[in-house]
Amino acid sequence: MTTTDRDLEALSALMDGELQDLELRRTLGRVSEDADLRARWQRLQRVSETLQSKRVSAPAIDVSLSVMQSLEDKPNLSRNPIWSAAIAASVTIAVVMGGQQLLSSSTSVTSTPLISDIGGGVVPVMGAQPIQASLGAKSIPVTTRPAQDSAMAPEDVAAMYERLARDRYRRLNPRHAQAAALSHPAPYISYVRAPNASMASESE
Amino acid sequence: MTASDTDQQLVQRAQRGDLRAFDLLVLKYQGRIGALVSRYIADAGEVEDVTQEAFIKAYRALSKFRGDSAFYTWLYRIAANAAKNHLVAKGRRPGADATIEDAEAFDDGGLVSEMSSPEAMAMGDELAAVVEQSLQALPEELRAALTLRELEGLSYDDIAEVLGCPVGTVRSRIFRAREAIDEQVRQQISGDSGFR
Repeated sequence: MTTTDRDLEALSALMDGELQDLELRRTLGRVSEDADLRARWQRLQRVSETLQSKRVSAPAIDVSLSVMQSLEDKPNLSRNPIWSAAIAASVTIAVVMGGQQLLSSSTSVTSTPLISDIGGGVVPVMGAQPIQASLGAKSIPVTTRPAQDSAMAPEDVAAMYERLARDRYRRLNPRHAQAAALSHPAPYISYVRAPNASMASESE
Repeated sequence: MTASDTDQQLVQRAQRGDLRAFDLLVLKYQGRIGALVSRYIADAGEVEDVTQEAFIKAYRALSKFRGDSAFYTWLYRIAANAAKNHLVAKGRRPGADATIEDAEAFDDGGLVSEMSSPEAMAMGDELAAVVEQSLQALPEELRAALTLRELEGLSYDDIAEVLGCPVGTVRSRIFRAREAIDEQVRQQISGDSGFR
């Protein structure tokens, strides 16, 4: 069998969808280089149509070369729409978050309810910035309430946290002394220290 | 394996940017798409332009083709829209819409007679006669293999089982049968410029 016959047989098998990938690639390469094979492919298609339908379509048109020329000049095969959507979404998020960063120092969110207002006792964290994830909807800050929006003065807030810390210290101190006394060679010392600590904190 | 499997194979390669695969699809369908476009547009030059445009659009939209319908049906829609848009751009009113049912009937060859010129129809009749004669003149083993493939749509594996021979032999017989018919076709209508 000559190379030409092998090409022609592969072309026939390609018509029937019976080529494996390797042979398909080889055949596509051969067809692209050989005008006779292209013409043969076209004729085989017409004969096949004729056999199947006993009719043949109007054959007096050949745009294949001009189509290939145009596509080789500007292939521009469109991207997968899923990737396009993903890229668009990423850009949108980047724009929204970038804009939020730029505006965070000056943006007032006075009319927007805070998550800590909604419930759950969110503890303010120093340095945290409000984050908005919205596409035209209202912004929802999720971390700290802006200082200027607080109903309490900053010094009152500081005093409140100080009180909370002392209360917690008083509650834990006796439990700590009790636990320490169990393992200490002089257990009374633990009990002596605990009231002292409590008194020291109260005297401040 | 069927002709649409072939299309799918070529489409998948074209989707990965293989222009050679798309070239074979253009060669396969340009006659039918040209006939479809000529249903909307009378001028031969415009038919050629719109047919070309339809294939270029199809290639550029190929990543959106998911194989839910036959490739030809999808291509048919693109070509019909290209023809209608062309008419609108020219300030002419598009005629009746081409439907998917049209595409399927067209794919079966059912609408070809409506779209072809008398010359093309005469040539088609002539070609059909030559093909039929050539088929009947084939040795029995070749005719059986080709008939099972083209008319019954069996895969090579199925044909091998029916004929009781290896798949490689089926492939070779179908190839030789096509070669014999092609030889007759070329001899009979080599002077006809419309059939390349």
